[in-house]
Amino acid sequence: MAEIKWGKREDHTLLNTDILRIDGPDKVSGRAKYSHDVRLPGMLYGRVLGCPFPSAKPKVDISGVDVEGAFVAMPIEDALRDGATTWLWQPIAAVAAETPELAEDALRQIRVEYEEQKWAVTPDQALGDDAPRIGRDGNVVRPSERGDLDETEVEMDECDAVVEAEYTIPIQHHACLETHGVVVDYSGGDEATVYASTQFTHGVSGDAARELGLERANVVTLVEHMGGGFGAKFGLDLPGMIACRLAKESKRPVHLMLDRRSEFLAAGNRSGGITKMTGGMMKDGTLRALVSDITRLGGVGMGANPGQPYIYSAGTSYTTAKSVLTNTDSSRAMRAPGHPQASFAIESIIDELAAELGLDQLEVRKKNLADEVYHRQLDRAAKEIGWHDHANKARPAAELPDVATGIGFGVATWGGGGRKVCQVDVKIENDGSVVASVGSQDLGTGTRTYLAAIVAEELGLTIDQVSARIGDSRFGNANASGGSTTTPSLAPSIKVAAHKAREAFFERVAPLLEAQPAELKAKDGKVFVAAEPDRSIPWASACAGLGEAGVEARGEWQQDLQARGIHGAQAAKVEVDTLTGELRVVKFVAVHDVGLPLNRLALRSQINGGVIEALSYALFEERIIEPWLGAPLNASFEEYKLAGSMDMPEFVSIIDDDDDREAVIGMAEATIIPGQSAIANAIFNACGVRLRDMPFTRDKILMGLASRG
Amino acid sequence: MKRRPISRRGFLKGAGGVAAGGALSAPASSAPTPEAAKAVFPSPRVRGEVEVELSLNGAAQKVTVEPRTTLLSALRHRVEPALTGTKLVCDGGSCGACTVIIDGEPRYSCMTLALDAVGRDVRTVEGLSEGQELSPVQQAFWEEDALMCGFCTPGFVMSVTACLEENPAADDAEVRRACSGNLCRCGTYPHIFRAAQKAGQRMQGEER
Repeated sequence: MAEIKWGKREDHTLLNTDILRIDGPDKVSGRAKYSHDVRLPGMLYGRVLGCPFPSAKPKVDISGVDVEGAFVAMPIEDALRDGATTWLWQPIAAVAAETPELAEDALRQIRVEYEEQKWAVTPDQALGDDAPRIGRDGNVVRPSERGDLDETEVEMDECDAVVEAEYTIPIQHHACLETHGVVVDYSGGDEATVYASTQFTHGVSGDAARELGLERANVVTLVEHMGGGFGAKFGLDLPGMIACRLAKESKRPVHLMLDRRSEFLAAGNRSGGITKMTGGMMKDGTLRALVSDITRLGGVGMGANPGQPYIYSAGTSYTTAKSVLTNTDSSRAMRAPGHPQASFAIESIIDELAAELGLDQLEVRKKNLADEVYHRQLDRAAKEIGWHDHANKARPAAELPDVATGIGFGVATWGGGGRKVCQVDVKIENDGSVVASVGSQDLGTGTRTYLAAIVAEELGLTIDQVSARIGDSRFGNANASGGSTTTPSLAPSIKVAAHKAREAFFERVAPLLEAQPAELKAKDGKVFVAAEPDRSIPWASACAGLGEAGVEARGEWQQDLQARGIHGAQAAKVEVDTLTGELRVVKFVAVHDVGLPLNRLALRSQINGGVIEALSYALFEERIIEPWLGAPLNASFEEYKLAGSMDMPEFVSIIDDDDDREAVIGMAEATIIPGQSAIANAIFNACGVRLRDMPFTRDKILMGLASRG
Repeated sequence: MKRRPISRRGFLKGAGGVAAGGALSAPASSAPTPEAAKAVFPSPRVRGEVEVELSLNGAAQKVTVEPRTTLLSALRHRVEPALTGTKLVCDGGSCGACTVIIDGEPRYSCMTLALDAVGRDVRTVEGLSEGQELSPVQQAFWEEDALMCGFCTPGFVMSVTACLEENPAADDAEVRRACSGNLCRCGTYPHIFRAAQKAGQRMQGEER
């Protein structure tokens, strides 16, 4: 078999161009069916009752439930610890009824007596003398230490500027628009189908089979479309487990998608955190010493933080880290887990030190970034944002204008490599139709589209000549879509499958052209002899002799078709009204390398998307739980604000084409990392107010302006 | 803004929430008995169902609803076959995923009772395209990649459609205002704005 390579990016005819999503028409017309939209005969709607206390022993009484029609209610006891819930809104009961409204009625009729337990929802409470024991090993877990404190302090003493600061970043919600959940089609018997809103098609059937008491081979999982995951949707999960139990009990299909409140409180989050930092810099901008103490706040989960000095170089660095547990739901992976947290601290302190020394913010970054790619990307971002014409490159003037303009920067990194896991099947039928299938899922990234595109290009067809089938556990294996690993794991397998299918096809077609298979090429819907393009045969005619079996090939992963290690540089331009404290982000530039771009249009969407999620986090997002009552205060889209159309700046989203690696790399995570850091630095650059506590609300800016005098 | 949300349902929901919340969070000693709860909230289950006729995408359709059934719930759960293009996301008038066009105006169907839609012209995303032929707004959304996971997309398509049907020459600021009641989590806004401009230009071309 010939060596399989992607080839130079400029040689592609379909890949590396703007490709319209093949499922676009379904999505814009409402035809696309999500788990939420599945309707089955006799289907019941499920609802879950969450415990309103951070920890309590519930006594559930379902005797008052008298909703007519098929109905099931049962306490969920096996997740309790010593009979008590351990996190706010932990499910304690569930119901299923003929309509969603009736299910809500039934839920209201459940009477619960709560024996409130000691709880903690803030780190201070969790560390207090009177704190409950939340984790089995206490409330401070996974402590770590890296570096030499004495040595770092010696170096710190030598620095020209030293800044000590504390940076806090709140808990962010994934806020998937389609809530977590499944439809379980099970009415007794040996088989079941699970329609899941998941990032891992192949990760559901096993758990569902266990819950239903079936064999895994007899449980099919379908993920035709899914409405956003961002790291929060792996496995059967709580709603899936509950739906299986309800279906088993009722012998009816059960539709259980979390309501919005439960989605906010019981479906994961990005961990918040506190980073206490002391940084020391030399007059030339060299970061010489850094001491960091990181606290991760992920509820009953561990949270995430990759540590310091993150992407930057520091002469010496000493870092301690720990998780502090509280009685709220566990953090989950969320697009670049831990990285925005780390970015915010290091990008801020570098900026603070640079301002202290009167240094150019752009140059000081390059000074401390070893990888030349960042220099190129930062320069590009600076050019696009207008840094060179910007007046204040270190700190703002003492006298501020009514509307102060500032620019800030940040950088990103991610692995984005794949592994051997995906099995892709390509079949060429004797009528010329082609189908490519794999049990992966499309989270909105465009997986389905590049599956068709890679195959179409390999076979010299247009994209609409290839059917792409995904989201079915009966298809070839595929990994979970997490950590930007889907494309680097899947795309090489697609390429290999398409290549093998083409070679097998050429074996069959070569005699028709009286040529050797190796002499053939497929392009523009024709198969021809490469050296003599006139000796050709149309695609459909070439396929006609394939017989009923057609040509089939399975492809697996080939390592050198993917790579790992990506970068990114972003710049934000803001305007601060120095009278009212109003903040507007007016322009955002994001430059990211992605290896071989598969679909440039979808890539620009991804870059925009990452930047917008970071902008939204920076300006608005923060989970608030009232510390004395333990009550959630903003578990709805009314109170937990997401950035909307009126908050959008001008976007310049750039694919860094100086990256000439002929390999695919996952890139989605990197785009979300530096946005809030760039905005924080831009606010300081505009008006001299250093915000160390996200989100950057108007009250904080006003306080900063007031204390500036 | 032209949106006139009908908020009676919001009141009902609020009242229910108070009753249930009280029962859930009060200490055991003061928890209302079921009888007491009934007194506060005499009929937690409104079971009376009535058959009404809705005008959906130009066709009259008989639907059985409860007085409390929202238009959104009727579309998704009671109409046969279900019209599931209209999405339920926040169920409380803050995200726009359930936007439909009633008598030419964009409306949150989660904040509109099905009964209040009787006698009015209701258009859903399914009604915009004829067969496989997309409307100018849908076509432009596709071409500009104004969608990612796609769950908010029908709502945005309806908001932009209502905006451009009123004024196909709507500028970028008007489009942003028209979309200010819709939320997207994937971050498709910039491409939506471009799609709206493209669709508006095409619609103006058609008018000429």
